[in-house]
Amino acid sequence: MKLYRPATILVGVLFVLLGGLTRLATPDQVYDETNVKVVGGTIGEELDFGGSGSTFKVTRIKFAQSVISSRDVDDEEKKALETNGIYLGIEWDAVRGVQKPGTVTPTLLADGGTVYEPMAGISSSGIDFPDAGFAKTGAIVFEVNPADLKGLTLKLHPFMLFNYYNSEIQVDLGIPTEAIAQQMVDNAAPQYVVPDPVTRVAS
Amino acid sequence: MESLDDVIDAMIADRVIHRHRRIWLIVIALVVVLALVVLATGGWKEKKGRTVPTLTAPATVTAGRFEYNFTKAEIRRKPKTEYSAAESVLRVYFDLKNIDSEEHQSNSLTGKLLVLVPGGGKETIESNGGTCRGEINWVLVYGLPPESCSTEFKVDPDFTADTVEIGVLGERYEAVSGVFGASDDEFWQAPEPAAVVRLDPDVVVDNGENK
Repeated sequence: MKLYRPATILVGVLFVLLGGLTRLATPDQVYDETNVKVVGGTIGEELDFGGSGSTFKVTRIKFAQSVISSRDVDDEEKKALETNGIYLGIEWDAVRGVQKPGTVTPTLLADGGTVYEPMAGISSSGIDFPDAGFAKTGAIVFEVNPADLKGLTLKLHPFMLFNYYNSEIQVDLGIPTEAIAQQMVDNAAPQYVVPDPVTRVAS
Repeated sequence: MESLDDVIDAMIADRVIHRHRRIWLIVIALVVVLALVVLATGGWKEKKGRTVPTLTAPATVTAGRFEYNFTKAEIRRKPKTEYSAAESVLRVYFDLKNIDSEEHQSNSLTGKLLVLVPGGGKETIESNGGTCRGEINWVLVYGLPPESCSTEFKVDPDFTADTVEIGVLGERYEAVSGVFGASDDEFWQAPEPAAVVRLDPDVVVDNGENK
């Protein structure tokens, strides 16, 4: 029996061509994650989180040369944490809806490509949602590089074990140019006292 | 029913097999003789010992997404008290810099990237991660100058050594193997040894007076 009949070869060539064609058909630009809706906003804007009835708002940002937890301010043994860069405290206000929003991973993105993660060492620094019907204020602190602050954006990415339709919050922290970034660094406070989170009844 | 094609194929195959029979036999004999010679001379030696460089402190090591500059080591002894047994830790000091040029992401040093190499075929001991500015698991920002940090290894209460060896592991920035068909996304993973640093530790008694 002959193994390589012309028809067999033709079918082989056809499969190879098909493989190439499917690669051509893949779009050049795709969303990183097709199941995540990005909700963008600015400081002071209440942003809807995932249609769950919960909202998130950045109330103010503060640059500082050192940070200390409000619990440790009066403790003489505890010293404020210094930095080679600069600290950025972001104060937030979150209102919880009926549906429980998932855990979020906060990161800061800058135009220069740096991805900042929250600093360690201040236990009250972080973002989380209170129980249903309550609202919560708190602060999260990042150690940042003064050379890469332009276009700073706070990103709250939901933690998902498997993929489902979810939303991500991106807050523009209002640093559109290098000059403004420099100004903010120059005017940084000597110390930022990280407030303890406070929960209240949502009005 | 046998076709003419099959008959011709069989004939050609027969010729091909027989044509180089002598050469094949000689080649096989040569291989056997070579194997016997290698066996008789003791065989190939398996490479033993370390394949990474051994450095002496102060030393700069670049591994994965961190750059270390090892300075000194201390054996810190906590004497036995009424309430607790005697303890010892080996603390190693170094300057640490985040050099993650792939993702430019802040990161803390995990414990398994620095190990104590006790030698003598014993298991390595993992560290407790990077402690900088007095805070454990300090998050190091890409682009900032190095921080002075330290890490600790749990050792026996009566541990002594003139020289200790610290193994530095570095992660690699690569995707999961295509065999698993997972994805082409690269990420920092799979730490592998980068260097061993030798330090001469001082002995310090830690009686809880000065932190």
